[in-house]
Formats: sequence, structure tokens, C-alpha cells
Amino acid sequence: MDIDLSPFVENWQFLLRAIGVTLWLSAFSILLGCAIGIVCGTLRTYGGRLLDTIIGLYVDITRSIPVLAILVWTYFAFPLLIEHSLDPVVAAILALGIHLGAYVTEAIRAGLTSIRPGQMRAALALGMSPFQAIRTIILPQALIRMLPALGSLIVIAVKDSAIASVIAVPELLRQSQVLAGKTFRPFEIYTAAMLVYFLVCYPAARGIDRIYRRLVPLGAS
Amino acid sequence: MTLDWSSVWDNRDRLLAGAGMTVVLTAATMALALPGGLLLAFLRLSPYRAVRGAATSFVEFFRATPLILQIYWVFYVMPAAFDVRLSEFATALLGLSLNVSAFNSETFRAGILSIRAGQWNAGLALGMTKLQVMREIVLPQAVMRVLPALASTWVSLFKDTSLVSIIAVADLSYVALKIRSETYRILEVLTAMAVLYCVMGYPQAKLADWVHRKLKVAE
Repeated sequence: MDIDLSPFVENWQFLLRAIGVTLWLSAFSILLGCAIGIVCGTLRTYGGRLLDTIIGLYVDITRSIPVLAILVWTYFAFPLLIEHSLDPVVAAILALGIHLGAYVTEAIRAGLTSIRPGQMRAALALGMSPFQAIRTIILPQALIRMLPALGSLIVIAVKDSAIASVIAVPELLRQSQVLAGKTFRPFEIYTAAMLVYFLVCYPAARGIDRIYRRLVPLGAS
Repeated sequence: MTLDWSSVWDNRDRLLAGAGMTVVLTAATMALALPGGLLLAFLRLSPYRAVRGAATSFVEFFRATPLILQIYWVFYVMPAAFDVRLSEFATALLGLSLNVSAFNSETFRAGILSIRAGQWNAGLALGMTKLQVMREIVLPQAVMRVLPALASTWVSLFKDTSLVSIIAVADLSYVALKIRSETYRILEVLTAMAVLYCVMGYPQAKLADWVHRKLKVAE
């Protein structure tokens, strides 16, 4: 078969914008996921029985439903509940962030519980408030220990952002479909899209591994 | 707002058939991806650099690109580029198996490498061939060690099968989205779909957690 690269020459701005949307959609869902994860993970570890049960329910339910189901529910069904329409981009960030948040919660909890309890007691004995102890002593060490887990979650977030194409967010996969339909060159376009995702995800995963190896001593205690 | 669950109840047979398809697809994919992953793991441990390199590139590529795009790629590119025509189900199975094989190969590789070299040496010293050592000493131990990771992969795979709905394989998501567009009872149908996934996925996730606790390696 012959390979025709003219779709890229003619539409490079269109594709570049789509890559931009993919990147900031991933970035916002990661931010939301991490915000949810840090709050829920900390509360689940130190917040007592009731909070542990409630957050555990959120984590378990979110982890047993496919992200596609969460996404279409947020975009199509949730607006009926609140009687207010949602922009696809907002729905995608919400759905991907809430989905990712459950995994970050568990990663944070694993990191926090891996810090020996003696450190918490020492901080409290020095007169710190529990909040201060978590913020200045426990969390910084835990975050370093969690880097590998968080790194793979970031890669998962970028890959999952492609699922937002289902609700017509103009990100890379969606725009590739549009272009493939217009130019009838699915081979070139989908292959190029694959390469772009690979070039984002692979260096990100390797880069985080490298940063982690540098920081390992800081997380040891 | 008023809720009308009859559109869900009237279509219960279709929803259950979709759920059945989801389970069948998960099991069939895993049945292909276990030998596939093992084969890739062996290739990655091969003494030949070219073989190692090819297998590593394959695995890294499939792990670093979105599954949904891989499914599209198999669906649109295979017929156009290589003149291979597969049914939707076979396409979905192929796409999922390639992806899960890549993940399984990493799991198996880690398991095989976790068995200390002394066991290899001992086996060889007893006069066993390399193949015998692998089959009788290393693999049985490695499999027990990687079972928890395989259980997690199973749970992810169960959820990821929902992505095949984009190429019109009649799994639970496809059926639910179709009923939604037929009946316009969007909230009810999509909630039913999420609940069905949750009811099926939750026990599997708990089972995977149990396997993790039960088979934790203590050296």
C-alpha cells in the first residue's frame, strides 16, 4: 500500500490544537484527581472510622465501574439530575478526575501508612498540631515514596483522556477520527496519533522513574 | 423530575445479554493473553539482542498508547492496510489481547526474574536442561508470585472491555447506550449500566484484594 502524508501537511494546525487539548485535558484531570486523592487519602488514613467507610465506598465503587461508564454518565445523565447542561470538556475533566481520584486516594493512603507511626508521635510530642505534622513531616516523605505509583497514574490519565473522544471533546483521538473520515487515510492518521501518545507517555513514565531514583534517599526513614 | 424505570426493566434481557458478552470477552481475552504474555516474557529474556529489542518495543508501545486507539487502529487499519477482514468480535478480541498480553508479559517477566539465580544454578547442576528448569522449578514458583498482579489485570480488563462498544460489539455499554438512544430514558438507563458494572466488578475487585493479601510474598 502507498502512504500519503498530505493530510498532515494540510491539517497540522488542526492536529496541533488537538494535541494541546489532550495535554491540558490530562493536566486538569490529574490536578483534580490529585486534589481529591490528597484530601480523601489523608482523611481516610487519619479521619476515623466513619470517614474511612465513606471514602472506602467512593474508592471501591469508582474502581469497579469502567471510566467510559463514568464519563457517559457524567455527560449525559448528570445534567438531567442538576437540570443544567454540561460542557463536554467540563464533564470530561470531572469524570476523569473523579475516576483518577479514587486511585490517587489509595496510593496516598499506602504512602502515608508506610511512614512509621513513631514519626507522628514524635511530631505531636514536639507540640505540632496533627495537621502540621501531616503537612510538614509525614506527607513530604510519603509523596516521595508514592512517586512510582503516581507516575503510572499520570500515564493512565493521559491514555484515559482519549476516552473523552466518546463525548466529542475535541482532543487528539476525536480530531483524528474527524480527519480520518474527511481524508480517507485512517492508516496514516491513527498511526500518527499512536506515535504522539507514545511520545507523551513513554518519556513521562521514564522521566518519573529517573526523578524517583534521585529522590529515593529523601523518602527513606 | 420523574423517573421511569420501565425502560430498564423491559430491556432487562438485552442488558443481561450485554453483560454476558462483557464476561465472555473478558474471559476470552485473558485466555489468549496469558499464553501471549508468557511468550512475550520469554522473548524479552531471550539471549538474542534483536529478539529482546523487538519484544521490548512491542510491549512498551502497547503500554504507552491508549487502548481505545489500539482498538480503532485494529478496526480501521487492518482491513485497509493488510486486507484482513475480521468480525467486530474478533477485532475486539485481537485488540484487547494484544494490549493485555503486553501488560501480562511485564508481570511474568518480573515473576521469573524474582526467582533467585541460585535456583537456576542448582537445577542446571542437577543435570536438568534449561527448559526443564524453567518448566519445573522457576515457572511454578513465578506463577504463584504473579497471581495477585494477574488478578488486578483481570479487574482492569473487565472494565476496559467497555471500550469495544465503539466498534459496535454488543457488550453491556453498547447495549445500554443503544437502549438510551431508543428510549430517551437517559438517566435511568445509564444509571442501570453503571450499577450493573458495579455489581459485577465489585466482587471481582474484592477478590483481587483478597488474592493480594493471601499471596503476599514474604522472603
